[in-house]
Amino acid sequence: MWKYLARRFTYMVFTVWVITVISFVLIQLPPGDFVTNIVSRMISSGGRELTPEYEAQLRALYGLDQPVYVQYYKWLRNIVLRGEFGWSFEYRRDAVEIITERMPMTASISFFSFLFVWIVALPIGIYSAVRQYSIGDYVFTFLGFIGLAVPSFLLALIFLYISQRFFGQAMIGLFSLEYADKPWSWAKVVDFLKHLWIPAIMIGLGGTAGLIRTMRANLLDELNKPYVETARSKGLPEFKLLLKYPVRHALNPFVSTIGWMLPSLVAGEVIVAIVLNLPTSGPVLYRALQQQDMYVAAGFILLLSVLTVIGTFISDVLLAILDPRIRLQ
Amino acid sequence: MSDETLVEVQDLKIHFFTDEGVVRAVDGVNLTVQRGKTLSLVGESGCGKSVACRALLHIVHPPGRIVSGKILYHRRLDNGLSETVDIADMDPKGREIRDIRGKEIAMIFQEPMTSLSPMYTVGSQIMENILLHTNMSKKEARALTIELLAKVGIPKPERLVDEYPFRLSGGMRQRAMIAMALSGRPNLLIADEPTTALDVTTQANILDLMLELQKQYDMALLFITHDLGVVAEIADEVAVMYLGRIVEKADVDTIFNAPMHPYTQALLRSIPKIAMKREELDPIKGMVPSPYRRPGGCPFHPRCTKALPECSTIVPAITKLNENHLVECLLYEDLATRKAMERPS
Ligand SMILES: Nc1ncnc2c1ncn2[C@@H]1O[C@H](COP(=O)(O)OP(=O)(O)O)[C@@H](O)[C@H]1O
Ligand code: SF4
Ligand SMILES: [Mg+2]
Repeated sequence: MWKYLARRFTYMVFTVWVITVISFVLIQLPPGDFVTNIVSRMISSGGRELTPEYEAQLRALYGLDQPVYVQYYKWLRNIVLRGEFGWSFEYRRDAVEIITERMPMTASISFFSFLFVWIVALPIGIYSAVRQYSIGDYVFTFLGFIGLAVPSFLLALIFLYISQRFFGQAMIGLFSLEYADKPWSWAKVVDFLKHLWIPAIMIGLGGTAGLIRTMRANLLDELNKPYVETARSKGLPEFKLLLKYPVRHALNPFVSTIGWMLPSLVAGEVIVAIVLNLPTSGPVLYRALQQQDMYVAAGFILLLSVLTVIGTFISDVLLAILDPRIRLQ
Repeated sequence: MSDETLVEVQDLKIHFFTDEGVVRAVDGVNLTVQRGKTLSLVGESGCGKSVACRALLHIVHPPGRIVSGKILYHRRLDNGLSETVDIADMDPKGREIRDIRGKEIAMIFQEPMTSLSPMYTVGSQIMENILLHTNMSKKEARALTIELLAKVGIPKPERLVDEYPFRLSGGMRQRAMIAMALSGRPNLLIADEPTTALDVTTQANILDLMLELQKQYDMALLFITHDLGVVAEIADEVAVMYLGRIVEKADVDTIFNAPMHPYTQALLRSIPKIAMKREELDPIKGMVPSPYRRPGGCPFHPRCTKALPECSTIVPAITKLNENHLVECLLYEDLATRKAMERPS
């Protein structure tokens, strides 16, 4: 088991490093940089053109004139040695401040989406497998496909409309007005949780449908396995048998996907958060990519991928705990 | 029925309702299991042996269903009296049948590799059966488990009790399965091809073990196999099954020395060990028909070397050759009366 975990850990560190390289290169890939962006914005708002000398000065100031690998090296060195993620051209603040402001929101929404997906999808998946081809199975399959087909931004728009129309106020944001700018307090946390479930469900809904299908298929595979028959021939009550044997077996593949759910949740979050005007990282990351605000974008991507990779490592550990075949190899 | 009768299967029918049609996997089976004796159910793969024996625990899985028939279980009570219950009539998820499973009737399966869950230790899966059917504490159940593991010939049982199944060889796993089956002190042990997946040496060891334990525990054995060589070693009585019906039933000597049904005769000719003493090795011609297209008349007629013209239209009935020897074949029926009987319909 320790060998297994050590190997996983090595992969983890290596993966993070590869991701930093790829994301840094990708961010630089579109033509132009932040300075070109400023220039074109000034022109389009009727401003004067900058002199080429001034542009060059700006580039030198931000280090944009250096080759990509030098920029990458400096960026990584500052993160590792000083915990500095660089400067946000757009916000004129430390990129790290913007990131730390937003990340906890994203993490909470993702976590609740994830909880929602599991709490809803697993029981339904189990039900659908055990009662295969029953009316309930068909109904859930139908609803599941709708959930899969309706994009989350559409849900968000529908929700906006309904809340505006029937409750008189668009329930956007993650806080009520009176708490929005206040420091954290117990009441603010409660208010936050009250708002949280809405985007959490919208973001999770698409994943729920997928998870129901997978759980159903996994469990159907297990239900007729000989070990289930053995357990049944002992006289175990059917429900206990179901949970203790086939469900337990069918869960293992899920545990190993926990880590990989984060990117898809964040991707789903971007759009819902834009529509609902949520102070999460999705919209900021989206904007940073558009504006070539590279250190903010790179910092977000780095943190998200680190979280994902850590999540994957945790699921590997969980899997080892759950499945003796892996633990004892 | 004598006092020694443990289980009587009467005209049992189990059909599978699939999208392609109804499969009559078990189609009117009669069997009697005597206390302490071994009944062997033989037949080619696919003839319905596994489905039939699972019915005794009422664990036929969908789309299969017991459509008719009785499975009478004669239980001896503590006060010296006995009672009879019909297993076929019980709710497959109900308390009554669950109390029989693993306690009064236990079962071991063909695949020792997959019959135990890899998620739990061998010991905990055996203890589960003990805790389910007795009032023992966990500690007592564990002690009994270790004792049973030793009894079935597992070395270092104190260590192996905490081992996971995938760390054991096939033979050891089957021994563990036997220990699990014994833990309820059953009156009947059903063994569905318990040695088929094992190599020859292990097979012989497991057979010896089962025979010895059967004596020790004084339990009846319903031994399912497609291998007549194994039957010779273990059975008191033999029932030969073909396409969901018992075509011949007799004591083991009669089956081997004076088989009457052409299918039994063909089966015997197809076994290397026994064929050598007799004629040349002679596999049964033709294939087992598709379960969706049962031949009319005698189901065996397309493959039978002795078939009569009537065999393709008239379904043979049970003929009692003597008290212990039943056969289902037109060769032993009075065809004139049979035809007279068929005509009006
Ligand atoms: N799940 C199932 N669906 C449809 N038919 C089945 C199913 N299980 C078994 N059968 C039918 O029952 C017949 C008997 O199967 P089985 O009892 O396993 O044979 P045996 O144990 O003698 O090899 C098979 O020919 C098959 O057609
Ligand atoms: S009834 Fe006819 S076909 Fe069937 S076994 Fe007897 S002789 Fe052969
Ligand atoms: Mg079988």
